[in-house]
Amino acid sequence: MNQITKTSRQADIDAFTAIAHPARRQILDLLAVGESSVQNLAEPFEMSRPAVSQHLRVLLDVGLVEVRRSGREQRYRLRAERLEAVYDWVAHYTRFWEEKLDNLGKYLEENE
Amino acid sequence: MKRDIKMEAFYPYPPERVWRAVADGKAMAKWLMPNDFEPKLGHKFQFRTKPAPGFDGIVHCEVLELQEPRLLRISWRGGPIDTVLKFLLEPVQGGTKLSLEHTGFTGVKGLMISYMMSSGWKKMFRTSLPAVIKNIDRLDELPQDLKSCDPETV
Repeated sequence: MNQITKTSRQADIDAFTAIAHPARRQILDLLAVGESSVQNLAEPFEMSRPAVSQHLRVLLDVGLVEVRRSGREQRYRLRAERLEAVYDWVAHYTRFWEEKLDNLGKYLEENE
Repeated sequence: MKRDIKMEAFYPYPPERVWRAVADGKAMAKWLMPNDFEPKLGHKFQFRTKPAPGFDGIVHCEVLELQEPRLLRISWRGGPIDTVLKFLLEPVQGGTKLSLEHTGFTGVKGLMISYMMSSGWKKMFRTSLPAVIKNIDRLDELPQDLKSCDPETV
């Protein structure tokens, strides 16, 4: 397997994980309306700004969100096209079956 | 983009033995997922796993074809997908070749959209929809796919 495939697979797994958290889904919901600062994002949450920043970090890492500097402020923006990986159930199930067929091999070995 | 999953695996055991692992509920619980499968044609059952975004963790299945020790075909509906899963066992030198086919993903992205649209992600989809539509290979098949989407699983 080449490096590029490996990297994109890793990214796919992370995108699933990233949106599994309700707070991060809410952040994405807010960003879907338009770009925003951390301050504005933290407002509707009963969460500290550092906590919101931490969730943003995860979203940035998987590429679902991007950041740009506007004057003194950091503005966060949704990268909706990255969500495609999450919709791709074929890719999801390909990984799933690879793992399960390996499990079956182990099961057969252990239950000799 | 490929819409079907086809995989092959080799196991160094005779088909009868592999069959006991593939077409047995207790065995499947070990290597696949907890379930209430029974090897009976037309038997309806479920697999249960942990929920994921867009998926409540329950896969609804029905035994469509059963030919011991060669073929098991079941329907596989979970989250927005309505697919068919086939296990084919063939004796080969030194063991068994297991072919897995998971088919029927055509239009899944369309179903995913309708699924997400109905579940409070409306705002996000207003902005991301164009990106998704770009990747739906057969848009004209969408209405049909949407009809076959069981509202109970959505």
